[in-house]
Amino acid sequence: MLSIAACFKWVVDEEYIRAGSSGELDFRSVNYKISDYDRNAIEEAVRIKEKYGGSVTAITIGAPDARKGLKDALSRGPDKAYFVNDESFKNLEPSQTAAILADVTGSKIEHDLVICGEGSSDLYTQQVGPRLAERLGMPCISFIQKLTIEGRQIIAERKVENGVEVTAAPMPALVTVLPEINTPRIPGVKDTLMASKKEVVNITKDELSQTYEPTLLTTGMTATSMERSCVKFGREPQDITMFVEALIKEGVIK
Amino acid sequence: MAGVWILGENREQSFELLNAGRKLASRMGTTLAAFLWNDHNPAEEYISRGADKVLLLPPLPEDQSEDAYIPVIAEEAQKEDPDIILVAATLRGKQIAARVAARLNTGLCSECMALNFNEESSAVEMERLVYGGMAIQKVTCATRPVMATIPPRTFEPASEESGREGATLELHAPAPSFVKVLERKQKEREAEDITESRVIVCVGRGVEKKEDMALARDLSGVLGGEIGCTRPISEEMHWLSEELCIGLSGISVKPELYIGVGVSGQVQHVTGIRDAKLICAVNTDENAPIFDAADYGIVGDLYDVVPKLIDEVKKQTE
Repeated sequence: MLSIAACFKWVVDEEYIRAGSSGELDFRSVNYKISDYDRNAIEEAVRIKEKYGGSVTAITIGAPDARKGLKDALSRGPDKAYFVNDESFKNLEPSQTAAILADVTGSKIEHDLVICGEGSSDLYTQQVGPRLAERLGMPCISFIQKLTIEGRQIIAERKVENGVEVTAAPMPALVTVLPEINTPRIPGVKDTLMASKKEVVNITKDELSQTYEPTLLTTGMTATSMERSCVKFGREPQDITMFVEALIKEGVIK
Repeated sequence: MAGVWILGENREQSFELLNAGRKLASRMGTTLAAFLWNDHNPAEEYISRGADKVLLLPPLPEDQSEDAYIPVIAEEAQKEDPDIILVAATLRGKQIAARVAARLNTGLCSECMALNFNEESSAVEMERLVYGGMAIQKVTCATRPVMATIPPRTFEPASEESGREGATLELHAPAPSFVKVLERKQKEREAEDITESRVIVCVGRGVEKKEDMALARDLSGVLGGEIGCTRPISEEMHWLSEELCIGLSGISVKPELYIGVGVSGQVQHVTGIRDAKLICAVNTDENAPIFDAADYGIVGDLYDVVPKLIDEVKKQTE
């Protein structure tokens, strides 16, 4: 029986972040979501289960209010979820996230195959998957766009700079998936109802084997400024003329 | 030995990192070492461009990939205790860096776009983009070595200096990785490289049908430019090659003139056009975020506006 673990992060939807006048970030009206590529990770785990049999466990780490993400994740097909939560887990940096995931996955969760998104849509460090594999001492294939299972090994098509490498690794193994690997399903009403009945295992900080200090410190966060003129024209003939005149004056039309 | 170490996937990237590394090494009063792999050129090329030492990674058997080097690189770092390791942020490089960082239990700044050694605090201050390019995160590393991946073309290549001397060291052959390469598929370029194009007309979701992209092509034609696209056009519709997909997960461009046609202006896309000299947009929705990122915008239906624009450009440039 194939045991598959899919990792996901409950993140701020960046479309809702506003920039304040002095470059500070305004999170007051933000929504949250499952990090974009983690939806591909969950989808791939569920597809592998549907094709080869087995079970899927979804895992997330976060502050207690990330609980909202569990139902969303479970409605996408996993059988159960692990929720590792503590108020101090709100702003973890990737080495901590990977260490905590390894702590829990290594001791509590069956795993022949661990699937992560290639990077999270908030910090996008693309480190957690590879770091987790190292922590668990497993082979790691990153940035894959196709995955199949043959006996006790995985076959993964890995994107590299000048093409694709078809690679094989014995299980247990970890992969990080690119968005092109699949199109995540959109959960229906029935999926959402079923999700509420699935088991969620709550793990608190004191159940971890140790604490993990940050290795990367954030010393500042400012909105990127786009100093642009923001002049708008209409669609009338004289507008079009003025628009083209402006471009010629700027020296960009020759 | 301490020092600054660099690791690029190819020659160009290594030369760029040598430039970045040389500056840091000089300010810190330390040495610069470069890993050499995947490159049949002599180590002297690296030495003449700033390396004090070249660490040669032996060639790998056919069924092995670069991940076999990870233990060798980590072991060497444990032995020599470098101050900084800079790795080119390619797909391979990002995996190597994250896994070496895990083995060394140190911090890694991914896709670092600026770095500076602060002499007062002795910290390496680094910057990177987060939230799809919406914000800049400033980071420092609390552990040794400081690690960063740096996107190709962030720095100019180091220039050659005659008379420089350096040492070479052959590292031991790695044990075979559990990951075996069964097949390598080379990818042929499918589209023009537009990263250096002077004018780019970008196709967005507002373009309804594949054949309607002719409008964008005609506009780029009269402007002497190329066309690019947003992520949905290449990834979902498959109308254009992913090599033309502009944005955080695609390519970054820096044309003199960018015109978005039916581009809404999601932050991930706008991040890829940040360095354009002039940004213009045509969109029906006057509240589309692209207008906040644009110098000049036309609020209107692209099917109505673009043909008029083509005529007007022809008229005014005659």
